[in-house]
Amino acid sequence: MRARRLSGSLTCLAVLSLTAAGCGLSGGGSDGDGSATAGGCKVAKGNVGSGKLTGEVKGKITFQTTNLKKDFGGFFNGVIKAFEKAHPGAQVKWIDDPGDNTFTQRTVADAQACTLPDVINVNAPTATALTKAGYLLDLSVKDPAVAKPFVPSFWKSATFEDASGKAIHATLPWYTGGVLLTYNKDLLNKAGIDPAKPPTTLFGLFADYEKIAKAGKGKFYATMANPIWRIPADWDQMNIKTLSADGKTATFANDPRTTQWVAWMAKLYKEGAMPKDSLSSSNDPSTLYSQGKVAYGSTNPSFVRFVKQNSPSIYAKTAVGQQPYDALGRASAGAPQYISVAATSKHAPVALAFAEFLTNAENQTAWCKDPNVVIFPTTSASLEDPFFQNVTGDDPFSQARKLVADQLKRADTNQTNLSPAVQNAIVSQVQLAMQGKKTPEQAVKDAQAKADELLKQG
Amino acid sequence: MVTDTVKPVPVPGTERTTSVPGTTPSRLSRLGRALLPGPAAGANGAALYRRWWLPWLWAAPAILCAAVFGVFPFLNTVLLSFTNAKPLGGAASFVGLSNYRRMLGDSDFWLATRNSVLYAVIVVPLMVLLPLMLAVLVEKKLPGIGFFRSAFYTPVLASSVVVGLSWQWLLADDGLINTWLQKAHLIKQAIPFLSDSWLILLCAMGLTLWKGLGWYMVFYLAALGNVPNELHEAAAMDGAGAIRRFWHITVPGVRQAMMLVGTLTGIGSLRVFTEIFMLGSYTGGPGGADRTLPFYIRDVGLDPMTGNAGYGSAVSVALFLLTLGLTLLAQRLTKEDES
Repeated sequence: MRARRLSGSLTCLAVLSLTAAGCGLSGGGSDGDGSATAGGCKVAKGNVGSGKLTGEVKGKITFQTTNLKKDFGGFFNGVIKAFEKAHPGAQVKWIDDPGDNTFTQRTVADAQACTLPDVINVNAPTATALTKAGYLLDLSVKDPAVAKPFVPSFWKSATFEDASGKAIHATLPWYTGGVLLTYNKDLLNKAGIDPAKPPTTLFGLFADYEKIAKAGKGKFYATMANPIWRIPADWDQMNIKTLSADGKTATFANDPRTTQWVAWMAKLYKEGAMPKDSLSSSNDPSTLYSQGKVAYGSTNPSFVRFVKQNSPSIYAKTAVGQQPYDALGRASAGAPQYISVAATSKHAPVALAFAEFLTNAENQTAWCKDPNVVIFPTTSASLEDPFFQNVTGDDPFSQARKLVADQLKRADTNQTNLSPAVQNAIVSQVQLAMQGKKTPEQAVKDAQAKADELLKQG
Repeated sequence: MVTDTVKPVPVPGTERTTSVPGTTPSRLSRLGRALLPGPAAGANGAALYRRWWLPWLWAAPAILCAAVFGVFPFLNTVLLSFTNAKPLGGAASFVGLSNYRRMLGDSDFWLATRNSVLYAVIVVPLMVLLPLMLAVLVEKKLPGIGFFRSAFYTPVLASSVVVGLSWQWLLADDGLINTWLQKAHLIKQAIPFLSDSWLILLCAMGLTLWKGLGWYMVFYLAALGNVPNELHEAAAMDGAGAIRRFWHITVPGVRQAMMLVGTLTGIGSLRVFTEIFMLGSYTGGPGGADRTLPFYIRDVGLDPMTGNAGYGSAVSVALFLLTLGLTLLAQRLTKEDES
């Protein structure tokens, strides 16, 4: 009898759990009782909807950066201290995420568990996911003056769609890296390429890769094979529309240059311009470049710092050049890093105040002046600083600063925002073409079909 | 004359403790007595131990954990598989069996299933036998054998990142293995361990075996302790060699442990992700040809921007059924073998 009662109770519990799960599925939006929700979490009413955020700047918040603690601990501790001094009663706990390839998934899981850090450094894919689910504060609503310090082009591109498809400002543009060519002058000379004259088109760059393949004969290579490092950045630079304007369908196969690009990649791989074992490797060129086995390094200006620190002999042979502007006619610098405020924050006024403090012109300029970093600010006042206007020095480090400062004046910051799954689907097909298992035409066609299938279900 | 009266012996579990008025033990003290390790003074301990709810109380934490972290997520996954839910939540609607229909017609699903099953079919028998052989070797009490036991166990302790980097270094075109083979003039061109999809899959299996050998060796060392040495001695006196003794004494003696290792390895093999990721990176090998079911679930179900948690859940249910089916098959085969 008792056992039967217990079984009955357990069944009820299971049914209740299932019902709860069913309720969870329909979550999101506002509750009928007037209380506010963000994503699936109960939050303070002021955090969502219209109206400026008000309240005392008092309370403890968590601030999360991505892989910055090791190199910039001193700077950020100073910023936090200054903020706490300016706002007695406010406390900031700093945590640093390693920022690996599971970052978006982990951050989304944090958001679903209502444990998102109050102020968080996010990249574009993470910001897209969090904004769509309503986990981030709409900053331009919560502080109408928030846009003022930022370069208009950066501010304009710092929007993401919410659940209704409306573009909102859920992020503050923070720092940006720019994009450039880094190369080993000795290896370029061996291949008969003039390091002082970088190509102006991507296919021109590919032609140089081909020369390196012929000269290297397997002893050294032009670059890494995995197309994941080039998609969609190369296509953006060539002004190929990877996705439709609403982001709901793939369109890259409609442009014949995409097939030409894949054909070039297949040819270069076959001819030995890239290490064969790097086709599906997660290794970027850092290691092989530092060993003098790859002629072209990463396009990230901070890569120059990496080489300087880890391989002084290769740094001595390193030069930098402008990334080919190709059909776009200006640098496709990609999206900057962003700072967001969680809508689930229990101390949203503190979080918003800290986010604005961290990204203000004074703090951005100070960080960019760090001698060990090549990053650029997103605030107008910072870019006017003589540090960025009058760059001197012939070393690769200084040259990188000068090149990026020049390009950022009119750079395109609208990098195509591909989801990791869509990117993997496209890259997989290109890899098959590079291995000769598919023709470039078929690979591009199949890549578009696979991408569309994922976009349709998303 | 004093007549001795025989006190009735209470039937255990039916007696009622009498109490002096005003000193009735509180519910709390009764509970305390029930929970204490031994019977309380003056009480019938056996009776207290027979409280119907006591076993449930002891088991409650484990049941709760299993329910919260096992049963509930599983039921939730089954429920989600009939919806078009998104990884980030939001409105979801019932879609019936359409996720299952899509799954059965998706060539990528079948490719991932083939890879997962192939992984299990190759890894499980090797993982059942190789650690047993290793355990038999290091079981002997020889000077310095502790070093070998530790050495074989070391890969278990190594972090995945270190293991991944080490294997990439070993298997690269200019890595240790290819360099040795080329210097020994055994090959002219590097073997494409990291760019051929079949070789990536086989190397990932090797990595799983390498990491698991030491772990399961310890299982078998414990099991071998229960195999009577007299059986080996008697068989040896009857002229049985080492190999014959291994198959006819050692193997039957550790059958239960083999069953356990087989089941655990089977489950692990069907769910393999890390090894493929280490060697095949984001796409799961060139062209995604080495993707296993967890890879496929990640791509179609977990992507925060384009994932469909409903479809991912349907594939997860398929993975569960596959795991369950293979486990039951293994159990059945073992029972038939025993009978």
